[in-house]
Order: sequence, then C-alpha cells, then structure tokens
Amino acid sequence: MANDNPTGRVGRAVQGAPRRSPTRKGTGSFRLRLACCLAAAVLGAPGAFAATDEGALPGLSLRGFGTLGLARTTTDQAEFVRDLSQPGGVQRDWSPKIDSILGVQANYLVGDQLEAVVQAVSRYRSDGSFRPEVSWAFLKYDPNPQFSWRVGRLGTEFYMLADSRLVGYSYLPIRPPGDYFGTLPFTYIDGADVAVTAPFAAGLVRGKLFAGVSRESAPVDNRQFDLNGSQMQGGHLDYQQGSWLWRLGYAQLRFEHELPPVADLRSVLLGPGLPASARAVADALATAGTVSRFHSAGMSYDRGPLQLQLMASRTTHEAGIYQDTNAGYLIAAYRVNEFTPYVGRSWARSKARSLPSSGVGELDALVAASQARTHTDQFTHFLGVRWDFRRDMALKAQVDFIRGAPSSVYPFQWVTPAYDGRMNVYSLSLDFVF
Amino acid sequence: MARRTFKVMLLAGMLLLAASASLAEVVVVANARSGIDRLTRDEVVNIFLGRYRQLSSGLPAIPVDLPASDAGKASFYRLLVGKDLSDLNAYWARLVFSGRTAPPRQSNGEDDLLRFVAENPGAVGYLERSRVDSRVRIVFDFGS
Repeated sequence: MANDNPTGRVGRAVQGAPRRSPTRKGTGSFRLRLACCLAAAVLGAPGAFAATDEGALPGLSLRGFGTLGLARTTTDQAEFVRDLSQPGGVQRDWSPKIDSILGVQANYLVGDQLEAVVQAVSRYRSDGSFRPEVSWAFLKYDPNPQFSWRVGRLGTEFYMLADSRLVGYSYLPIRPPGDYFGTLPFTYIDGADVAVTAPFAAGLVRGKLFAGVSRESAPVDNRQFDLNGSQMQGGHLDYQQGSWLWRLGYAQLRFEHELPPVADLRSVLLGPGLPASARAVADALATAGTVSRFHSAGMSYDRGPLQLQLMASRTTHEAGIYQDTNAGYLIAAYRVNEFTPYVGRSWARSKARSLPSSGVGELDALVAASQARTHTDQFTHFLGVRWDFRRDMALKAQVDFIRGAPSSVYPFQWVTPAYDGRMNVYSLSLDFVF
Repeated sequence: MARRTFKVMLLAGMLLLAASASLAEVVVVANARSGIDRLTRDEVVNIFLGRYRQLSSGLPAIPVDLPASDAGKASFYRLLVGKDLSDLNAYWARLVFSGRTAPPRQSNGEDDLLRFVAENPGAVGYLERSRVDSRVRIVFDFGS
C-alpha cells in the first residue's frame, strides 16, 4: 500500500512531457557538500550512542544519526528516488544525493514521567535543498508503564518501521524497500498519539492511535503539492510473543488541497460549453477533500542471527487521479559475525479507476494519460550485506534489480517515454549514530 | 533407531545448554524490596528491550546495564536474545530516534550497578553471580 501515495507527480500529462527545470539540478550540491562536511566532523568525534552521558545539564542527552550514501542506476530514462518527497534522483552517475542524511536529537527529561524531544534533520528535500528542518518536537508523558502520550510534531508510523525510515543505522537494507515505502512522502504530523501496552496470553499487546495535520509538501514536476492542513488519523495493533511480532495497521489522509496538475485538468473540464459529463469527471478526479486509506499487515521474526520481515499493504483512494495499490515486501537476513547478508523481494501493483466518459474524446485521452502517471506495476529483487565494522557504524552495499512494465512510472521522477521498466540500482552507504 | 538418535541429540543439546550457562555465570538481580521473587525470561526481555517495564508487583521496572566495555554486557544479551551488541545498538537507534523508549540506564561497572539496584525498589540489573551480595536478590539465571 505504500505505493500509491497521494502526492506524486500525478498530472504531468496535462502539460505534456515533463521537463526538468534547468535550475534544479545544481541547487542541492552545495548543501550536500555542507551536510557531508558536518557528517565528517561528527565522524571525527564518535561518542557512545547507547551510553547516557549526563553532562552539565542533568536529564539532557544529545544524540545524532546519519548516512553517507552513494547510488547509481543503469538507466538515464528515469530518475530513481528514495521516495517521492525527492524532486529528482539518481541515474547512471554515482550520486550521494538520495540517501545522505544527517540528524540530531535532544531529549530532556523533566522528571520521571515527562520528556521533551526535538529532532532536526538535513536531507534532500522536496524543494531540492538540504535545508535542515524540525522533524519532531514533542512532549511525551508516561504516567505508568501501560500508557504513553505524546503531543507536538511526531513521526508518522504509517507502516511498521515507518517512523524510523531516516535512520539507516537502525535497519538492514540501504533504504526502506521503495516498492513499499517509496510513494510515501509523509514524515511527520503536528498532533498527538497515545500508546497502550499490556501483557496478553503469553505475549504483549500494544495499540496506538494518532491524529494530526501534515505540514509538508511534495514535488510534482516543477511544482509543489501542498499537503499543509491535510488531516491524518490512524492506528495499529501489535502482538509480540517471543521472537514473533504481528501488526495490523490503518491510516487515512484527507487532502486539504488540489494536486496542481489536477487543478489544471479540472479547469479544462469545467470550461464553458462542455457537457455535464465533463463536470462529473472533473469531480471524480479531484483530490481536495478526498480521503486515501492505507491498510497494512506485517510480521517479523527475529531470533539470534536470523531476521525475517514480511509486510503487505493495500491503499485505496477516493480521488480518481490516484490508483488503488497493493504492495509488499519480504526480507530475510542471517548474521555471521560482523556481517549480515540479506535478500529480499518487494512488489507493487496499481489499477486505474475507470471513470465515466467526459463526452469529449480528446479530454478522455487527457484524463487517461493523467491517470497513467500514477501507475505502478513492478517488483524488485534486492540483495546486500551490512558490515558492522566498528561500534555505532555500519557499511552497507546493495544491488536492486527492478523489473516492471514500461508503464510502471509512479515510483520514479522524470521518466521518459523510452523507459522500459527495468533498472538495476547499485548503492553503498556508511551509516552511523552518535 | 530414530528415537535413539533423538534422545542422543536431546542429551547433547542439554549438555550444550549447561555448558553455556556455566561459562557465563550472569544472573539477573532485583532490589530486595521489589516485591518479586522470580522473573521469567520473557519478562527480562520485555524489561531490558523496553517493550514493557513493569514488575508483577506493580512497580515500574528500571533496567540498568553494565558498560559496553564490560564483557558481562555482551554475554548477557547473547544469552538472553542471541544478539550482538551492534544488533542491540541498531535496535535502540530505532526506538530512540523514533522518540519511543529509552535504553536501560548505564552503570559505571558492577559496583555502581549493585549500588543502584540496592537503592531503587524497581531496579533490575545483571552481573556475575559471584558478585551478588545480600543487598539484592537473584530473580533470574540462565541455568534454570
């Protein structure tokens, strides 16, 4: 389900073939160099991540995480992105752009039950810069071991592990599987959540509910899809017993604004002299005020050196511009001393909504072309190895074999008509925490 | 024949288990006023991995680790969940940077750990069996 996310570049067909803005390509590189320098400085002074050193101010701890990544693909006919929050991606030349991240976090304990957390992250953003932004800023109140309340800016745990997608050190692959997570541009909401934990049978049951509004935006061609004010609610239920963890999740998003290309298309369909059927199509395409729903189920098994993860999702949309999608992934890993080789498969397939005819053949073709921009039909085999070569640091190398239909364009940016649906992605990363 | 093979394997497995327990005599200790006599393995896992930190007596559990430089820490987690310290580091990176649970507080060593457990009714720690004294109570060992 992760896959059809509401923010993609849906309607680029309206304006004909997408053209990369000539200024965009260079903007990120200086910021990236800056981020890399910062990261190098951090690497020069590694601390002890898990140790809670208490310095001048008792209760205050400062920590950080980061990734220096390099990636390239085997095609110049599409740009591979980590997720659709990125306005451009990598092609056949090695680039650090998509995976490099630096984050810092301060935790301040105000007594036993109350904690303040602020996290800022610099990464390749929807506007093409690496300008740092506040990714979390919340108060956490734990009155007892069963309940935990948080209010403020929170990570969205849309799917299992989705709230730690930026912390490469915390997971095995170079990046979360793109077929599953790649079409989610949401990182945080301003809102609140509550988690409840209780022993049940031989294990633990954990439930969580969250609600809030998005403040983010997502790139669509050379414009931005404004998600600001879009309401998000959801929850999940976990059952953990021994090495097994089971998860059911649900989330929904109500779009506040119109996707820019859909706004263009609607202004055409609502033009004077067109039949009422064209108005019906315009309304069926609209995103503003519509709800997208994300259903997910996951399972993980983690015992000693063996790790298995299986997740599946289904996403449905009220807005006709988006396509309902099924997605999933499976990862298996086995640790051998400092090395953890892993293999996996991920997949995503979407289906366009059949809309009534507008009554004008040319307009129908335009609508169909716009819907085609959110189509996904592909799977990926990936394999790699993580090397925990020293404390708080890991090196990873990974190859992704993406195999899809030529029509599977949604997970990428700047796809040309010559794209054949197949690419390999080669990636290296150094992940660290401090 | 098959049954005999099974018995031999079972015996070998038990011997291996006994051997690993005697190699690393790490035991889990709690405060004498914690209100608990024993913890199950699952309870120890829940407390130290931050899944659920409450003792059966109702007290909030406060886990405390040995420093990473102490071989006892690595051996404790290997016995408990079969994980290396770098696996645990990755695990805690996920929970800390998603703003959920904090890792166990870290002591400066076995003396410091013993003092902390002795002074805090909900505290739970681990150390070499030979270092246990009357201020704390053994609530779990890997031989059992």
